[in-house]
Amino acid sequence: MSHFYHFDTLSLHAGQTVDPEFGARATPIYQTTSYVFPDTDTASSIFNLERGGHAYSRITNPTVGVLEQRIAALEGGSATVCTASGMAATYCAITAILGQGDHIVASSQMYGGNISLMKNTLPRFGITATFVDPLDIDGFRSALQDNTRLIYGELIGNPGLDILDLEAIVKISADNHVPFMVDATFNTPYLCRCFDFGVNITIHSVTKWMGGHGLAIGGAIVDGGNFDWGATDKYPTITEPYAPFQGINFWEEFGPSAFATRIRAEAMRDFGASMSPMNAFLLLQGIETLSLRMDKYASNTRQLLDHLSNHKQVSWVSHPGLTSHSSYELAKKYLPKGAGSIVSFGVKGGRDAGKAFIENLQLASHLANVGDAKTLIIHPATTTHGRIDAEGLVAAGITEDMIRLSVGLEDVADIKADFEYGFRAAEKFASS
Amino acid sequence: MGFTTRQIHAGVTPDPTTGSILTPIYQTTTFVQASIDEYLDKGYSYSRSGNPTVKALELKLADLEGGTDCSCFGTGMGATTATMLAFLDAGKHAIISDVAYGGTYRLATKVLSRFGIEFTFADTSNVDEVAGAVRDNTAMIFTETPANPTMKCSDIAAISEIAKDAGAIHVVDNTLLTPYYQLPLDLGADVSVHSTTKYMDGHNATVGGATISKTEEHGAAIRFIQNSTGSIMSPQVAWLTSQGCKTMSLRMDQQSANAMAIAKFLEAHPKVEQVRYPGLESFSQHELATRQASGYGAMAWFEVKGGLAAGKKLMDTVEVWTLAENLGSVESLITHPVTMTHADVDEAERQRVGIIDGLVRLSVGLEDVEDLIGALDKALEGV
Repeated sequence: MSHFYHFDTLSLHAGQTVDPEFGARATPIYQTTSYVFPDTDTASSIFNLERGGHAYSRITNPTVGVLEQRIAALEGGSATVCTASGMAATYCAITAILGQGDHIVASSQMYGGNISLMKNTLPRFGITATFVDPLDIDGFRSALQDNTRLIYGELIGNPGLDILDLEAIVKISADNHVPFMVDATFNTPYLCRCFDFGVNITIHSVTKWMGGHGLAIGGAIVDGGNFDWGATDKYPTITEPYAPFQGINFWEEFGPSAFATRIRAEAMRDFGASMSPMNAFLLLQGIETLSLRMDKYASNTRQLLDHLSNHKQVSWVSHPGLTSHSSYELAKKYLPKGAGSIVSFGVKGGRDAGKAFIENLQLASHLANVGDAKTLIIHPATTTHGRIDAEGLVAAGITEDMIRLSVGLEDVADIKADFEYGFRAAEKFASS
Repeated sequence: MGFTTRQIHAGVTPDPTTGSILTPIYQTTTFVQASIDEYLDKGYSYSRSGNPTVKALELKLADLEGGTDCSCFGTGMGATTATMLAFLDAGKHAIISDVAYGGTYRLATKVLSRFGIEFTFADTSNVDEVAGAVRDNTAMIFTETPANPTMKCSDIAAISEIAKDAGAIHVVDNTLLTPYYQLPLDLGADVSVHSTTKYMDGHNATVGGATISKTEEHGAAIRFIQNSTGSIMSPQVAWLTSQGCKTMSLRMDQQSANAMAIAKFLEAHPKVEQVRYPGLESFSQHELATRQASGYGAMAWFEVKGGLAAGKKLMDTVEVWTLAENLGSVESLITHPVTMTHADVDEAERQRVGIIDGLVRLSVGLEDVEDLIGALDKALEGV
């Protein structure tokens, strides 16, 4: 009889076998650069990817390996490669399959770093992108070009919080033999397992909710193992011989984990954006409480939405869990346990009121991160999306009075009380 | 094998599972047992009682110091406390160097004396004074050589003989010279104590301590106290200290050479009243320092003409040197013991043992010696 472990069990155990030498219950931190080979034949076969094993920590590391297997198990993917940051994950994943002359169709509502990568950096290497309103499904189809090699989006858009209709876009991607890559940072596999809906690759900034404590930067690329790279000749990096490894063909050798293996063989080896063992260890501690934290985030978010929606100084509140939100139905379908813990709202009185509100909070931290255990707050127009022009701001769904809130795990009564300091300071701008 | 080889390799074997050339950091509380009958078969149960990463450092230090057993502690004071608790009971008596580190003095006079342990502070640079202080109930002689901060040296071999005749154990705080320069256990002592915070780490990164015992029996006694009182070193600290140990001899040689050059510079400077460094021929115990150790270390002190006021001005204005506690790191530190490290020692006692108000302590680091001398020269000009 086979039995598959459930999510909470996987988040504690997946990827870890108890240390065979001493029985250490926690994953040892392999803070080492290299690994001693028992003999030259073993060394040679590890180098040629003929067998597993560790050679050098830029390529693989046993502690990072535990985190990689754990994330793969939680997502239901075939393999994971962890990276030094979320941006490194996005960059390595895209450049593993795209090159000069290739094209991306991407959602216009994404983290500013993702937009900047596709709008400013990748074009320097001949990779271009067309940005589409995430709710405009026909727009995704019509943006496709002959040279389109990737469809990319964030399940929960940032900061407009529109939800991608995964199944609708999966259909477009399948019809055109183009993989669909989703940044799943805001949902984590606890709120939505994107592969269950046919997505091919997920990207994570594990810095955020996965790690959950705001203490280590890291990224992950998860291979869904469900894309037929060999169906067309559009993905030569996966299906054609790779000279650096004696002409290895990733698709023939590694099948469902061909994409992840290509990233390890090329991106980790040549770009070297590897995660440190210490960060992997710290992030593993965070994942052990992922479901507990996500439920508490959802509960705090629901209560704050109720509070803000009824506050006389709040002009608007946006969250996909509110019936007023344009993605309410999609959130119900894809994110039934909670549509994330990012909330945006406007304080009456515009830009000055928003500024006064943020500057007078005492508990919430004013900073440019999300997904910490602590409540974080920021003004996107002047910070995270500050390098995007006015037209881009509109496309990304950002207004000047917008305050973005990353709900924390504090007692929600204390968060509400803290907001009163901000509201009192913003009061004088409300009538102007 | 030579010290430089052992400081790198002793205690470390490649991880059998992965080949990892460095010992993994076993940041874990507990160890899974295969079965009740096989309890402790792999050597570990709970990280207070033992941890593989800490063990690797303990094996290295035991090897370097020439002992049979080593226990690592959360701090150097943890190591000193456990050593005293292991061998001293109520009604027992210990003789301690009267110029030991201020923390050792505080532990003896303010803490352990409450439990009925008696202490005599003796000038252990004078062997006859040590012999005269022995009582029927003397169970330990605790020396620190060279002593911090006066640099007075104690004759390890002669005092070990006195201890043996008295049925007491001789504990030597070997922090200032490290096993690279001085091997107290080879000279007859029973236990070496270290603040690993100093030259073993060497980078101001960790706080830690160690005891190394010549006999397994003494090692077990200390280990029992450690497991009972819980003053353990963390795996992260042990791992960082293991890395520091790999360059211990290189750092000691260069820092000591820097110290010698600085001591000579100060000795010739017209504004300097006196300099104490065991490597100087003018040092009253230069012969002993040369006989029982293979190097003089990187600690020295001097007094500026004009006493306390002039010394303070120098410490407040000198560049490159950092005004801070601690010693032994690659960063050169300058310290005023009377207000900093030895403030808890009674004033009369300080005067008696030679910790004068104008004493300026130097922990010579790894910077370019010309920069260190140039900075002192400039600061001396201003006083």
